[in-house]
Amino acid sequence: MITDKLKNFVRRKSFHVTYVDTGSCNGCSIEVLATICPRYDIEQYGIFVHHPNPREADVLLITGCVTEQWKTKLKELYDKVPEPKVVVAIGACACSGGIFDQEGKRTHPPLKNFIPVAAEIPGCPPRPSEILDAILGVAPIVFKDYDKKEANK
Amino acid sequence: MTEKNVDVSIPIGPLHPALKEPLRIKLHTEGERVVDAEVELGYMHRGIERILKGKPWNKAVYLAERVCGICSNIHCMTFIETLEKISDVEPTPRAKYLRVIVNELDRIQSHLIANVSYFLGIEHETLAMYMLDVRENSMDALEIVSGNRVHMTWNVLGGVRWDVEDHQLKMILETLDKMEPRVRRYRGMFAHGPLLQLRSKGIGVLSYEDATKVPAVGPVARGSGHPESDWRLRHPTYRDIFDFKAISRKEGDNTARVLIRFDEIFQSMDLIRDAIDNLPEGDIKNRGKVKAGEGFHSGEAPRGELKYFVKTDSAGKIDDITIRTPTRLNLESCVGYMLAGSPSIADAVAIYASIDPCIACTEG
Ligand code: SF4
Repeated sequence: MITDKLKNFVRRKSFHVTYVDTGSCNGCSIEVLATICPRYDIEQYGIFVHHPNPREADVLLITGCVTEQWKTKLKELYDKVPEPKVVVAIGACACSGGIFDQEGKRTHPPLKNFIPVAAEIPGCPPRPSEILDAILGVAPIVFKDYDKKEANK
Repeated sequence: MTEKNVDVSIPIGPLHPALKEPLRIKLHTEGERVVDAEVELGYMHRGIERILKGKPWNKAVYLAERVCGICSNIHCMTFIETLEKISDVEPTPRAKYLRVIVNELDRIQSHLIANVSYFLGIEHETLAMYMLDVRENSMDALEIVSGNRVHMTWNVLGGVRWDVEDHQLKMILETLDKMEPRVRRYRGMFAHGPLLQLRSKGIGVLSYEDATKVPAVGPVARGSGHPESDWRLRHPTYRDIFDFKAISRKEGDNTARVLIRFDEIFQSMDLIRDAIDNLPEGDIKNRGKVKAGEGFHSGEAPRGELKYFVKTDSAGKIDDITIRTPTRLNLESCVGYMLAGSPSIADAVAIYASIDPCIACTEG
């Protein structure tokens, strides 16, 4: 249908990204920040990343290893994001707990125990180009024909 | 606390457009004026100090580095220097110079990102983007030397991890030459831009006396006229070889803190050039063994004094460790002295960004 085609086209080229830090060491967070710099320039792909606000997000970038405080709040946060939505876990911490998954820890990795995760980017920290690549790779797949998939459910 | 006339309490955070890391700031306001502030921490606590206990030292160094991802090299360096102090190991002369080169490169990128987040805080996106672009150059230089952008593990007991070749040093010098005129231009844009100064001059003032009360450290203290707060003055390499002099300003407002960071970038560039010009030949590593003992050591992180207390046992395991990070002190001076009395809520965000907070460090 024409509206589906139109929606597919528009969604491929415009989404809001929100990044949430659930107890990272900041290494991954600044690499996310580095993706907006003119060298990588995430905005030229139609991605808006500046002001994190879950209520208008399409893609949630999550860094960090889920600290005690975030355990209950993660689900709430995820529910606030309107459909369709994608969660991308950034860094070894979010994928598996990384270096913080050791005896004596105060964290509860991995992230996928709490919310559904669509893509994981390993690395400590991953390069900005890899983060960019993952967002551009996974988001269109999830958003494609979203309304048709919903209707068939 | 005396009774204050509070109209509304405005919470900022934990997820807020102006914050890079989750924490909650509560502002008690009277009209638009902020009369009091509180912070609520705990969103980033990973328990690093607990994980570190009982680890062999060569494993612990990776964890110590991951206390903070922005100033990771200084954590690695201070931790290793504490161990060196405990076990009487001296780094080789060449290693001392190489440590300074990487440490100052790390400081440059950290100060750049600190000013970027300040400019984003006052919503001057153009300047922020310019500076983020320059920062990529310094990240390149770090990658040339150490092979990684963020976590480098550059320091090892008695030296550094590997040697740096001449052509790599030349590339660093070229990068610095490329960066310096651009950063000078941006400093001029900030120092003489009337609109930028409108948001910064006279805002968030921390007086000379108040800075001693908490005490504030790092660029925050140096912005309020405390040059002695720079721990590089007491570091043997900086003190004896480079004849280091600290920078300070008297105003104590946002402008002073941002300009201090700009000036320290140029100072770091000079230090790196100095180190590359006089780099001695020789080994990069002294052999040594970690002995049992305990000791304190402080280093100058980009945000201020970073203090490590380490206790080791005879097998080289960490018995006890305490890390006191600079933002712990600066946050207190920010909340106690700068935010209270800030003329508007929009300025509160700028003031908070101007102390260059790093919550991941603070909570560990
Ligand atoms: S994956 Fe590495 S860089 Fe990223 S938050 Fe974890 S420790 Fe820091």
